[in-house]
Amino acid sequence: MPYAVAGILTYLVLGVVGFVVRPGWLLGLLAVAAGAATLALWAPGFPPGLLLGETWGVAVGGDRVALVFWALALVLHLAVVLHERHRTGPFHPLLTLLVGTSLACAVSQDIFNFYVVLELVSLISFILVSYESEPKAVWASLKYLVLATAGMTFYLLGLGIVYVRTGTLGLALMAERVTQGDPVLVAGVGLLVAGLAAKSGLFVLGLWLPSAHGYAPTGVSAILSGLVVKLGVLGLARLAEVFPIEGLVLALGVVTGLGGLVYALWEWDIKLFLAHHTVSQLGYVLVGLGLGGEAAWGAVLYAAAHGLFKGLLFLSAGQAIYEVGERDLDRLRGKLSLPCALALAVGTWAIVGLPPLGGFVAKAVLADHSTAGWLAVLVVLSLGTAASFARLLPHFRSAGRGTRSRGFLLLELALLTMGVWGLVTFPGARDVGEWLKSLIVVAAGYGLHRLVHRQRVQLPALTLDRSFVLLLLGTLALVAVGLASWVLL
Amino acid sequence: MEAQGALALAIGLVGLGLWTVLVRRNLVWKLLGLNVAGGGAILFLVALAHREKAGPALEGVPGPHVDPLPQALVLTAIVIHFAVLALALVYVIFLSERRHTQDVRKLEETCPTRWPES
Amino acid sequence: MKVLGGLGIVGLVVLLVWLTWSCFPLGELPPWEEATAAWGSKNAVAAIVLGARLWDTLFEVLVYALAIAGVALAAGSLGTKAVLPPLPETPLLHLAVALLLGPIGVFGLYVAVSGHLGPGGGFPAGALVGSGLLLLALARGTRGLTPGWAGGAWETGKFAVTGAILLLGLGVLVLGARGEPVLVGLNVLIALEVALGAWVVLREFAHVRGEM
Repeated sequence: MPYAVAGILTYLVLGVVGFVVRPGWLLGLLAVAAGAATLALWAPGFPPGLLLGETWGVAVGGDRVALVFWALALVLHLAVVLHERHRTGPFHPLLTLLVGTSLACAVSQDIFNFYVVLELVSLISFILVSYESEPKAVWASLKYLVLATAGMTFYLLGLGIVYVRTGTLGLALMAERVTQGDPVLVAGVGLLVAGLAAKSGLFVLGLWLPSAHGYAPTGVSAILSGLVVKLGVLGLARLAEVFPIEGLVLALGVVTGLGGLVYALWEWDIKLFLAHHTVSQLGYVLVGLGLGGEAAWGAVLYAAAHGLFKGLLFLSAGQAIYEVGERDLDRLRGKLSLPCALALAVGTWAIVGLPPLGGFVAKAVLADHSTAGWLAVLVVLSLGTAASFARLLPHFRSAGRGTRSRGFLLLELALLTMGVWGLVTFPGARDVGEWLKSLIVVAAGYGLHRLVHRQRVQLPALTLDRSFVLLLLGTLALVAVGLASWVLL
Repeated sequence: MEAQGALALAIGLVGLGLWTVLVRRNLVWKLLGLNVAGGGAILFLVALAHREKAGPALEGVPGPHVDPLPQALVLTAIVIHFAVLALALVYVIFLSERRHTQDVRKLEETCPTRWPES
Repeated sequence: MKVLGGLGIVGLVVLLVWLTWSCFPLGELPPWEEATAAWGSKNAVAAIVLGARLWDTLFEVLVYALAIAGVALAAGSLGTKAVLPPLPETPLLHLAVALLLGPIGVFGLYVAVSGHLGPGGGFPAGALVGSGLLLLALARGTRGLTPGWAGGAWETGKFAVTGAILLLGLGVLVLGARGEPVLVGLNVLIALEVALGAWVVLREFAHVRGEM
């Protein structure tokens, strides 16, 4: 435990120092090195314990989920630092602090600590989204701010209720004191879930996500989509260990997956397209979490794999926009440089779930441990993902040479490493049938793309007022569904 | 009974704040509503810390004491609300300088969802 | 749409009132005196904020510091308006500032240093001193006060204080430092950070608007 705490504090101190001492990217590299060293020291994991004393102490724990999140955070940070090395000013210090806070989030086992850390994470995200002072990005950031803050108000209310009923904030102790069939506790947990859902951009509670991730600077989009949104989902995973919220998580997962998919299918701005797909893939993760057991572990692996390939996709999309000066998918076609097109291709390869990259392994583990009915939902999501990414196929024909970003190479290597590790560790992933199945799904997705790609559908815009109403109704629904299940059972 | 009163007030404030965010179109009003709702959530925690006829949790104060933990949490939450509000207000200043409006609908029109010509 | 949202709010309020009403009467408190004394404090809230839950407080300090940095960043991109003179130069305001500034500073220090013994602490103290500075800026204008000091110097100072708080936190969390001096040190540093942050924001807003 002291190693993890020391690692996080080193990260934070280096971030703060970066505001005063230049160059920031070098301090970022130092922080990554320090983080990796402390990760190696606590890697065997440590059981949940209280920091600073038995009364009131903050619970932290280093399980395998925390381990995966640390590794993901460090790899993504390294890739973004390498990719965005030219940035001066407070960009890199802010990034270092963001990643350091995410590390703290990964080991947190205390619902109030989770609140504080998540608030810091989103505060830095607001600043980074609006970093280039583009009015569009500032407006996206403000929307994010209003919806996330409203969500966190619900979280605080839920926290008060849960604290009154259990007398503790630490999850381990809470698990011992939970009384089954307490309606007040059920409602409190519903509010906690609503707050986390709004924070991590799930349909229909947190509709700020596409515009914030779409208009943020490239490296920021990569970190936000790869790491930050998953912290809210991590919170849901922690709550699911204590409270019976599987039903709520599954429902959120289906709505999120399908909603993100529908918006992605008819989106032509490349970064917004990727942002909608972040939402759809979160649905995938949530369904796995809701199923519980080893499927939840598959979901965590998928979250990590998604962090890697979505980081790669966002970095290459940013590079493409920089090279061509266009954001529209149609106008980017055939104009990309070779490294950029290659990175886009590898990212697509991973997101549609083809072997042997990391995305395939995580999907295989998830599919292996899910029941038949939920497998169908997962297949539908994969199919839709493949169908919408089929639109990128013409973009892989490149227009010539270009500069190669070290960030691409790192993320590609990480994806391959994860894939190889998974193939060695999980016998299920070596099964020829699984490989065939993934091929069939992708082929079917391509067929679906041929069918629908001429359709034009205008979907309702995700405005602030509309999103806010949906947040309110979603929260009410989460609380009411929890109460209804209590009444019926 | 004081605790129940404060609790009802807190929930009322949350409702009032969210209502303001819902019906007002001006961003400054929306942020104001958000802050009132946040204040309500904070009062909610304080009210839940209260006990009948209790004094502060200080050494040397006799009688029943309030629960110190929610009070400490509230200190943190207040600072966070303040910080987020400060950031939001500077964004509003920025947007009204660049877009010359604080109306949500007009701001929404400045970044419409595009539609390809082909 | 708005009608639905309104119904949502009403539904949530009704549910919350109905549910929380059944929470009363609230349960017994666990004992807190020993844990408070172990931190060298007489005030349980101070023992929690600066002791047992210092981990949260460190992030809270960072939230404050970064919000200020974000405000400075966004305001910096707006440029400067023409300089206006400081607002009404009444002798009354000048006199009031001259009389009040000393007591405000001393009281702020008192609140910070005695925060672990009774009501008070670093954040209220910083807010006190910060509002004193606001008064000063109202009377004399921000630019006239520290002509030779660029905005960057103040921000550097603020980040130095933030770094010092984090390092002190490292001492408490990893090396196990305890006792009254730690609490006083943390309170004073936090007060300093809050006051400096308030001053930076004041300068930035004055910068954007021309003057106070």
